[in-house]
Amino acid sequence: MSFVSIEFMVFTAVCAAGYYMIPKKYQWVWLLVFSYVYYLAAGPSYLFFILFATTVTYLGGLWVEAGARWAVPAVLLADFGMLAFIKYTNFILGNINGLFGTNIREMKLLLPLGISFYTFQATGYLLDVHWKRCKAERNPFRFALFLAFFPQIMQGPIGRYSRLADQLYAEREFDMARIERGLYRIVWGFFKKIVIADNAVLYVDAIFDNYNTMPGYGIMGILLYGAQLYADFSGGIDIVIGIAEMLGITLDENFTQPFFATSITDFWHRWHITLGTWMKDYLFYPVTLSRWMGKFGKWCRTKFGKNIGRALPICLANIIVFLVVGIWHGPAWHNIFYGLYNGVIIGISGLLAKNYRDWKKKFGIEKDSRPFYCFQVIRTFILVNISWYLDRAGSTHQALIMLRDSITKFRIGVDMIDASSTWAGSAYAPLIAALFGCLVVLIHSILRERKIDTRSLLMKKPIVIRCLVLFLLLMSLVVIGNKPLSQGGFIYANF
Amino acid sequence: MDEVIQILEEIQPDNDYETCDTLIDDELLDSFAILSIISELEDAFDIRISPAEIIPENFNSAAAIYEMVQRLQG
Repeated sequence: MSFVSIEFMVFTAVCAAGYYMIPKKYQWVWLLVFSYVYYLAAGPSYLFFILFATTVTYLGGLWVEAGARWAVPAVLLADFGMLAFIKYTNFILGNINGLFGTNIREMKLLLPLGISFYTFQATGYLLDVHWKRCKAERNPFRFALFLAFFPQIMQGPIGRYSRLADQLYAEREFDMARIERGLYRIVWGFFKKIVIADNAVLYVDAIFDNYNTMPGYGIMGILLYGAQLYADFSGGIDIVIGIAEMLGITLDENFTQPFFATSITDFWHRWHITLGTWMKDYLFYPVTLSRWMGKFGKWCRTKFGKNIGRALPICLANIIVFLVVGIWHGPAWHNIFYGLYNGVIIGISGLLAKNYRDWKKKFGIEKDSRPFYCFQVIRTFILVNISWYLDRAGSTHQALIMLRDSITKFRIGVDMIDASSTWAGSAYAPLIAALFGCLVVLIHSILRERKIDTRSLLMKKPIVIRCLVLFLLLMSLVVIGNKPLSQGGFIYANF
Repeated sequence: MDEVIQILEEIQPDNDYETCDTLIDDELLDSFAILSIISELEDAFDIRISPAEIIPENFNSAAAIYEMVQRLQG
């Protein structure tokens, strides 16, 4: 059941209406039932995987709290083992066949809905219990809701038990302001998805699918891909957060104006934030503080001196973390290189952090100077876009060819798509619609970057203005959105 | 306490470590700086800091860091 479908809208409306009508003590049960109905609608065969993760992690939490040290590695192995088996078996078999000339048959494996997201959420919970940051949940059904809460199961944000659990189980009164606030966020998400992402994808797919026969459109393709990816993913998250808000639940934010980032590190603090903080807390810190990394650090300090010796293990841990991020993005070498590209840049930046400070002092660059800020934002934007060639292309070879052709055969235009196949019968209309959407999002991002809460501002306006804004957003979906409404899947739903 | 402040100033200058108690909340220390600080603290005070200790309450101020160090020295 895609978010962009009439069925999902009806499903959500019934869930929200019923939530406030039933006795309060059953509200969390209501959410659990709807979450599992939503999950079952995706396919009954997926049910086994979420039940497995729920059962194993629930029991693991209790065992860990009771002092069973073996339970931590055992449950992590079970959870990640299931994810790795489903996601990477065919990639490994394909590489073995390629390397050794064997002919091992690939397996028919379907990726269960949201498996990455609930696996991360489950393992994060287990480690939090292990590190005594939270108490183990006693009620298996409550724990099941924490992993399966239906708006966020498809593409996150990845929730933390300490912030999410109590909210899920709380009893709530109906509050019209909360519903209205959530509704704005949902419609805003649909605007991003349908006006920007679903229009941009027409050009992105055509450019990347025909990079050999129609070379040179790389820069146009990658800029539109950035718009598509951001609008698709953050739009989906807006819908998720909006639905949760309607139910009185505040989820963690996943994006904070990533295109204003001043470095790749800053970009990852603003883009897919909950994945970044998960990686930091549960992989980056443990790897860096592990005994073998400690020994490596000591060795580095004796060989390279204090500063570099201290920074090198952290750089190595960064590269490992981004290697994992790359692998998580998909079982393909271009994704692995995508992760490494980010990890190496962040690692080198960390290594040179002291030098940067010295250089800035030497050249008299003020930390808060406007031109330097603009330089940093543009530099980061270019670096991020280069990385997205690796993310979007079907192979590393394709990414490199397209990068080369972007410069040597540069061109822009719309002749890569068939005008008659677009919703407006024009090859320009979807592009203009997507660019208009980007302009609206840019203005909104500037306001958010200046800490202006646009929804609170809007909610102080008279009802006529609020209805007008809502009407205009909804009309834009119908008039300049890529139709039909139900066609759009979400990119990150496939993780 | 002075030694902790000295370590903080060496790794990340530009912050007022005597008074600031929102080093993590206001993102004045990033993960790179936190790990560099941990590395120095482990050497200077002969302690081991586990990932479980990396919570905002332990790193929001020089005083909080010093308190954690004393606790881990046992």
